[in-house]
Amino acid sequence: MTVLMQVVINGILLGSMYGIAAAGLSLIFGTMRIIFLAQGTMIVFFAYVTYWLFVKAGIDPYLCLLIVVPLAFLVGLGLFYSLFRKAVALEDRNVTLLLAVGLMYLVDNAMLKVWSATPRGVTISYSDAMIVVRGIRVPWLRLALLGLAFVSALVVFWFLKRTRVGTAVRAASEDIEATKIQGISAIWVCAISFAVGIGLAGVAGVGMATVFSFDYQFGFTFAIKALVALALGGIGNVFGALAGGLLLGIIENLAAYYWGIAWIEVASYGIFMLVLIFLPQGLFGRRALVKKV
Amino acid sequence: MANLLLEVKELCVSYGDVRALLGVSLEVEEGSIVALVGSNGAGKSTLLKAVAGLLHPSGGQVLFMGLDLGNLNTKHRVDRGIVLVPEGRRLFQTLTVLENLRLGAYIPKARANYDESLERVFGLFPVLKERANGKAGLLSGGEQQMLAIGRAVMAHPRLVLIDEASLGLSPILTRTIFELIVALNQQGTTVLMVEQNIHMALKICSRAYVMKTGHIVLSGTGEELLANVDVRKAYVGERGSKL
Repeated sequence: MTVLMQVVINGILLGSMYGIAAAGLSLIFGTMRIIFLAQGTMIVFFAYVTYWLFVKAGIDPYLCLLIVVPLAFLVGLGLFYSLFRKAVALEDRNVTLLLAVGLMYLVDNAMLKVWSATPRGVTISYSDAMIVVRGIRVPWLRLALLGLAFVSALVVFWFLKRTRVGTAVRAASEDIEATKIQGISAIWVCAISFAVGIGLAGVAGVGMATVFSFDYQFGFTFAIKALVALALGGIGNVFGALAGGLLLGIIENLAAYYWGIAWIEVASYGIFMLVLIFLPQGLFGRRALVKKV
Repeated sequence: MANLLLEVKELCVSYGDVRALLGVSLEVEEGSIVALVGSNGAGKSTLLKAVAGLLHPSGGQVLFMGLDLGNLNTKHRVDRGIVLVPEGRRLFQTLTVLENLRLGAYIPKARANYDESLERVFGLFPVLKERANGKAGLLSGGEQQMLAIGRAVMAHPRLVLIDEASLGLSPILTRTIFELIVALNQQGTTVLMVEQNIHMALKICSRAYVMKTGHIVLSGTGEELLANVDVRKAYVGERGSKL
């Protein structure tokens, strides 16, 4: 029983990364219908930035959040205005998907050039610190990451529910043309939600740097995992995306525990397919989304 | 002659190869209700969209308070006081009534008048106040139309463009909505409305234009058109018309 608990808790801790990544994807998809496949690559990029700040400037990774997250937000604005501004106006969504794929490979290979293929990771004085409760071991850093995931989700939730721009983002994800009619700049609303989505990639990047050993190729797998989490959680719901991420983490760890590590990917993609086939609105998604189609 | 608020001159709009407006001209006086009537596909909604800046004309001019709006986008037109209540209402269904109204007051000028506008909307449509925290998608058809108009009022408009307010509503509800449009107009807001319910529209408007296949074919005061034999035959339920 203790072992099983440990497996589930490890899963939750792993899943918090997926959850943050999925929340970012959800925002970007919600307003612009862009499947931003480069989300994982952006996370790896910000993990490298965190790594650099730590190695070159000796800044504690958690202090790095104060630099990396605003930086990620600005990078998001820049990416949106340079790459997606024209493409989101097109009826054909494939262009945005291709742009995301192109960006992913471009940045992946640029990172290979700059940081080499050697896996990187940040080791801090408290990297190995654990809390042990009744034989269940919880590493501090992973717990902090879970906390970070919840705080990020709360901040995004607050942004969407309580701010004027956030309300406009929700409105735009329902009917972008109708937001224009209110005199709202649709491009600005898209830019903001894109930037917040990339800001979340910044949060996840800091988490990745502290908890994983990562390399330049990590991004694609991570983006796909985030998509799986999103499918589980349902689009248009920050907490759903987070819950989907946690669930995916648990599923992966249970599969590894019962069937062996080789089954991790089979289990997660198998469930991905099953959810898409039988519950396309996600486990916690809004039913209205299905009606629209 | 009173002040002209809106002047549309020889406006042409095409969708690809299909020409929807073929040189339409009309005038809206400040403080009036102007109705634009005609059968389906006549180009009425197209005209409203072009005035709202959602479609770009291929020729002609739209003047608002004497200034040519040119290719100004919708946002800038809302800033100047032209607000559209779109066909089919286009409410944000998953947002609350109050959130819909807040989004209506998004531009800075409207934001500055938020409290006053909200009071005005709740005065016109008390039911929206009762339902303020309910989801817009759960309102009845009539209430949704009230919210759509209320959302436009929140933008502090000089001219409200209303596209098919009676769509999908019972005759009784249509009458209620029309009475509210008159009340809104009496508070000083100018209205240009596209309407299928021609009889009621002609009764409340001070001036009306009849459109057919991209042209204005007839215009006059509401009473004149109500008395016009062709209009009666074509649109008010009598048979055998030339229009």
